[in-house]
Amino acid sequence: MKRSGIATASLLGVAGVFLTLWTFPVLWALLTSFKSERDVLAYPPTLIFTPTLGNYRDVLFGATTILPNLISSFVVATFTTVLTMLLAIPAAYALARLNLPGKRAGGFYILATQMLPPVGLIIPYFLFLQKIGWLDSYKGMTLIYLTFSLPFAIWLLVSYFEDIPREMEEAALIDRAGRMRAFLYVVLPQVRGGIAVTVIFVFLNAWNEFLFAVVLGGNNVRQVTVAMFNFISVEQTLWAKLAAAAIVTMAPVILLGLFAQRHIVKGLTVGAVKGGGRR
Amino acid sequence: MSNGRVSLKKIVKRHGAFTALHGIDLDIEPGEFFALLGPSGSGKTTTLRIVAGLEEASEGRVFLDSTDITNTEPGDRDVAMVFQSYALYPHMNVRQNIAFPMRMVGMPKGEIDAAVQDAAKKVHIEHLLDRKPGQLSGGQQQRCALARAIVRKPRLFLLDEPLSNLDAKLRLETRGELKKLQRSLGVTTIYVTHDQEEAMTIADRMAVFMDGQIVQVGSPKFVFDNPATADVANFIGSPPMNLIPASYADGRIRIGAHELQTSCRVGGERNVIAGIRPSSVRIGPSGIPARIDLIENLGDALLLDLSLDQMTIRARTGTEVTSREGESVFFSADPTAVHLFDAVTRVRIND
Ligand SMILES: Nc1ncnc2c1ncn2[C@@H]1O[C@H](COP(=O)(O)OP(=O)(O)O)[C@@H](O)[C@H]1O
Ligand SMILES: [Mg+2]
Repeated sequence: MKRSGIATASLLGVAGVFLTLWTFPVLWALLTSFKSERDVLAYPPTLIFTPTLGNYRDVLFGATTILPNLISSFVVATFTTVLTMLLAIPAAYALARLNLPGKRAGGFYILATQMLPPVGLIIPYFLFLQKIGWLDSYKGMTLIYLTFSLPFAIWLLVSYFEDIPREMEEAALIDRAGRMRAFLYVVLPQVRGGIAVTVIFVFLNAWNEFLFAVVLGGNNVRQVTVAMFNFISVEQTLWAKLAAAAIVTMAPVILLGLFAQRHIVKGLTVGAVKGGGRR
Repeated sequence: MSNGRVSLKKIVKRHGAFTALHGIDLDIEPGEFFALLGPSGSGKTTTLRIVAGLEEASEGRVFLDSTDITNTEPGDRDVAMVFQSYALYPHMNVRQNIAFPMRMVGMPKGEIDAAVQDAAKKVHIEHLLDRKPGQLSGGQQQRCALARAIVRKPRLFLLDEPLSNLDAKLRLETRGELKKLQRSLGVTTIYVTHDQEEAMTIADRMAVFMDGQIVQVGSPKFVFDNPATADVANFIGSPPMNLIPASYADGRIRIGAHELQTSCRVGGERNVIAGIRPSSVRIGPSGIPARIDLIENLGDALLLDLSLDQMTIRARTGTEVTSREGESVFFSADPTAVHLFDAVTRVRIND
């Protein structure tokens, strides 16, 4: 079936508008990151300027380096992701397989935690971490991120596990694999797409998180989102440096996105089209 | 060691308040091709899964060669199974699928390769070893599942409706091959099917399941000739046996105002269900008058729907019958081919 010219044109038009809306800020930041602070403030904004790598130099290796913060972010996000997956995979598998009473209600609870406004939890979390002396620490940060990422990861993974017919595991049991190897050799390889998606989402959520990072972090653990925020100060805002830092922070996100595009799109649609083929 | 005698003793299976199996007793001989036959929902799969160890019996015991395996893990029972859905591992190619059961017991690679080749050859899929299950047709997937089952020499094959997902032509072909394969391997096989014709043609013996109970065990021919209840009679044979409410006295069966002769002799007068196979109904110059409602020509035979007092009686006759639809004819039955069942218990009364 051939689409009419008008339909194609309007589709392209709409796609173009959205693409512009989404990419414009990124492109603007990219442009700004190569400007000197003076050029940034030029009014009207100019597209023609002498590009400089100074911002990147400062942001990466200068006095305002964000390298330690990138490392902090990476450590927190990695801890969070690894712990989340270690706990979420068995939990999701159990939820998918066992006929636990209250499974539905539990599923709803998991979703509900995703709907709470995080701001409401900051003070209790702050007091809690303070009490146990985990403020401004990697373990404290990871623990708090886990409370969000774990329910989300479980919820996402359950649908992947549910897609695998029980008979396939039973076949493995009869083929003398035993429960553990039936899981490792037959179930796990089939949900690797789902695991990849979940890893990416969990990692990016932790990487991009700002609110908890700024309140519960400090001098020891200052994540890159917080460090970027510090370019905005009372006296002045260093827009060009901020832009360079933003680009540096976004780079792994975009790379990861491009790399795992196929998985992500499938992950987003898996709930919508259940049973639409695993392969 | 590989004998393969299976005994089920008083197996009960409950799902909450619902009882799926009401005390199954069954003995299967070594090397036998044994069918579990019955309508859908009668408990065949449940029975097979209990033998496999995939499901626990609520009561009763399972024996394999006089070892009590009731609580043995599936992997330790030395059985192989083909699932209705085949349950192939989609991320492994055919070779890896077939090799899986041997890999799990750490067999040396060389031996595995040889065994895979051998099994694949027996089911004619040697040329497909490097494909993924998703790239196979239904029939090829079925063979792959079969190869995975025969690759090790188990004591027992369990097959759950293995042909039901194949188209009619392939089902017939595969049925024959399966039978030959089983003969050559000599491994005890339990075969679940709801298709009576399949069970009749393939099995050495069969058990007929109804509502979670075994109503009859025997060779297909014996069960066909001597159905234990009216329901078994109705289930086995196509088209099914005519079951006619009647009364019996002195070798005569009264159906309304009409009479049929039978060679059965049972004591006294009683209400019965007279069972007559369509192929035993005779159309002739005398007998019970009936009207022909419908004639279906099967090529080598005719299938007549006769109506008698609101009842439909089916007859399978030779093509020499020249009557037409709407005409009245007389029918009778071969007196030696009339089955009698009790009108209340529906249990067979003649022998
Ligand atoms: N897990 C279960 N929970 C409740 N009822 C079940 C369960 N498994 C099977 N049954 C019921 O047990 C009966 C027998 O099922 P099954 O053995 O699969 O029948 P068959 O294979 O003869 O078609 C059916 O009525 C089915 O609905
Ligand atoms: Mg079944």
